[in-house]
Amino acid sequence: MTAMTKLKGLATVAGFAATLFVGGATVASAEDITLTMAVPDWPPTRIMKKMFDEQYKPASGNKVTLDVDFIPWPDFYTRVNASLTSGEQKYNFAVSDSQWLGAFVEGGYFRKVNDLIDADPELKATMEQMHPAVVAAYSTYPHKTPNYYGFPQFPDVIVTYGRKDVLCNDEEQAAFKAKFNAKLPCTGEEIDDMDWDMFEKIGQFFMRKKGDKLAGQVLDDDFYGIAYQAGKGYDFSSMQINGFIWQYGGNTWDETQIPTGQAEGVVNSEAAVKALDHYLRLIQYMPPVAKTGTMDIFKSDELFREGKVAMNLDWIGLGEASLDPKSSKVSDKLVFGLMPGLRGADGKIIRWSNIGGQPFVLTTWTTDAQIKEAMGFVKWWLSPEIQHQFAAGGGQSAIKSVYEDPKYVTYRPWNRAWAASLDWQKDVWHVPQFFELLTQQQDQFDLAITGKQDAKTTLDNIAKFQQNLLKEAGLIQ
Amino acid sequence: MTSTTVPAAPPAFTAFSPDNWRLALIAGIVISAVAIAALPSGVAFWITGIMMALVAIAATMNAVRRRYYGGLLVAPAIAVLFVMNIFPLLWSLGLSFFAYQSNQQTIRFVGLNNYIKVLTNDLAAKDNWAALTNTAMFVVFTVAAQMVIGFLLALLFSKQFPLRKYLLILVLTPMMLSVVAAGVFFTYYYDPTFGILSYIMREMTGEQFILMDNKAGAVAGIVFADAWMWSPFVMLLVLAGLVSVPKYLYEAAAIDRVSGWRQFRTITFPYIRGLLMLALLFRTIEAFKIADLVILLTKGGNDTMTISYHLIRIANEQNKTSEGAAISYLMLFMVIVLTNLYLYLANRRTQGN
Repeated sequence: MTAMTKLKGLATVAGFAATLFVGGATVASAEDITLTMAVPDWPPTRIMKKMFDEQYKPASGNKVTLDVDFIPWPDFYTRVNASLTSGEQKYNFAVSDSQWLGAFVEGGYFRKVNDLIDADPELKATMEQMHPAVVAAYSTYPHKTPNYYGFPQFPDVIVTYGRKDVLCNDEEQAAFKAKFNAKLPCTGEEIDDMDWDMFEKIGQFFMRKKGDKLAGQVLDDDFYGIAYQAGKGYDFSSMQINGFIWQYGGNTWDETQIPTGQAEGVVNSEAAVKALDHYLRLIQYMPPVAKTGTMDIFKSDELFREGKVAMNLDWIGLGEASLDPKSSKVSDKLVFGLMPGLRGADGKIIRWSNIGGQPFVLTTWTTDAQIKEAMGFVKWWLSPEIQHQFAAGGGQSAIKSVYEDPKYVTYRPWNRAWAASLDWQKDVWHVPQFFELLTQQQDQFDLAITGKQDAKTTLDNIAKFQQNLLKEAGLIQ
Repeated sequence: MTSTTVPAAPPAFTAFSPDNWRLALIAGIVISAVAIAALPSGVAFWITGIMMALVAIAATMNAVRRRYYGGLLVAPAIAVLFVMNIFPLLWSLGLSFFAYQSNQQTIRFVGLNNYIKVLTNDLAAKDNWAALTNTAMFVVFTVAAQMVIGFLLALLFSKQFPLRKYLLILVLTPMMLSVVAAGVFFTYYYDPTFGILSYIMREMTGEQFILMDNKAGAVAGIVFADAWMWSPFVMLLVLAGLVSVPKYLYEAAAIDRVSGWRQFRTITFPYIRGLLMLALLFRTIEAFKIADLVILLTKGGNDTMTISYHLIRIANEQNKTSEGAAISYLMLFMVIVLTNLYLYLANRRTQGN
């Protein structure tokens, strides 16, 4: 081979490589789009990822990859917060807890989506179909204004998890009747009509020691009546206590009343103190771990699945594990109903609860091409067919036509409580100061739960702190 | 072989030569300053980076031509130390004089206000002082427990007995576990319903045992878990000291019929004192930073909040970056004072002997 042919050969190869490179680059930029997403690691997001991988075909014809970071719940806020505030701009898309909106909108991380909704009549129609409580909680900042930042990914509420085998047992039914002269709730409808007094009676009634009988069988371990969240971490007591406070006619600091809404006098009102007292009174009927301040939503769920309590109040999002015989000793004994409420003077139950669940949000650095694909995905996700599939796989839908479909209640045993719960869901604190408000309140509630201070002192401390913080921030005049 | 040639003389300040580091430094600073003032931060960042690289190259060329090989060898380490440690340290010191939150785009100079707030504000300071007192308590309890247990374990393992090797590996295992794994393990260990501790207590008393529902119990639980993890570390250091004691000293002592206690005091202890002190220093510094076990076991409940966990919440969760920096610097100051005090005492005792 002469030097000349060598050179020619080299040039050909180089030219070929260059063609490949340029060609490859243009193909890649036109068709491969990756959406990086931060989500909490639990069934509602795992199902979403699975459905996406198996079924989603983008209308644009591009190859869209959903690169999902599954982050454990207890670290979720810290990790997402660190990623956003560090400026690494890693995520295009995140599942955000509704209370984070203010902090991350003000920080300039979450993108306003009004223009995207307005540009797409189909999506606009879908959003209008959405239950208003869900839209207010997941999408709006400032709270309850028509400034939208999110789309519902997984809406969630607290429901009552019950054990049919002990609640419907004839001996237990008779003993309960003899003791309280009332019917022990057994069916879903009876649980729906349960108020806090009945819930307390059930708690008291099912406190059993090792060696006692439960539903005709001798217990090999202690058994407890009830469980609900009373933990110090994240929001694992506030989300239950807020419901009590609203039912009693008290209020949390109301951000829709900025700047005239006060914290002092509202947060620690007489009604709120009564409500917190009521919440605290029921803790004695819960497994003793509640006294340590670590009874979070996962602990109460675990105690219920291990068959240690008769009833548990928890998010629907955690429900899948209790249905699975591999992770639940009570998988074939489940009955579900609404979260209890406070019975008013007229005999009707006053209901309020703090909404759970999460929206999708888009980040501000997401490119137009990515936004286009992300919106394609959101539209697909919120389409009735996929929402039905999601609900059938263990998710929930806040779209009216979907959850009012008669099929809906057949997907999962708790779905019967879903539509009925939506009307009385509220949310708190979309303001940027939410995490300070939350940690201080959780610390104070923990002191009350573990018996270190009474309800009045607790709420006084919270009110004083909130008044001071929100005044400094200019949210209270 | 030693070279006899004289290194080249340094270039004149104005000479345009690759080893003229003085000129490079001045030019680098001026260009960076102009870039930072005039250009958008994204561009200025890279220009400043390039300037720093230029200065580094000039300094290296200078070192090569002037034969400062010692400095050249140390330079990479210094560079890494500067980039990874010293620069962030100075940066956060600067931040502690500003009102800055990492999730907001504004920054404002406030002088010593952050320090005044964390030390005296009637809402914020109380928590800081409580967390600091708790930290001091944990330092005393965890370090004392680890030193005693570690020391006793070392005495045990310095003797020969059957299965010693295998037991030693078992005893060292906790140290190698991740703290999170150990923490989760202990939450179940202490759990009143599922835990083995409560199970054993119930066999004896008939009542479920709730360890973590009061401060004493919660502290005991954390101290026990920490001692379980880190006593082997103390043991390892002390064991190294014990093994290094020459046998003939004990033989001589045995001939002189010296009592066991005196043997320990005059032969064993002087050999292991240095290592004991090292273990004490390491464990004290670590204990001062305790947060992981507290987060896993109590979330700071039952008055077990430590200053590190408090700091994580303020700086990382509530995004109060500059307030967090102020607390960090107060902590750093305390650790430096304590460490120097300790080194001073340790040295004085060595010289006293």
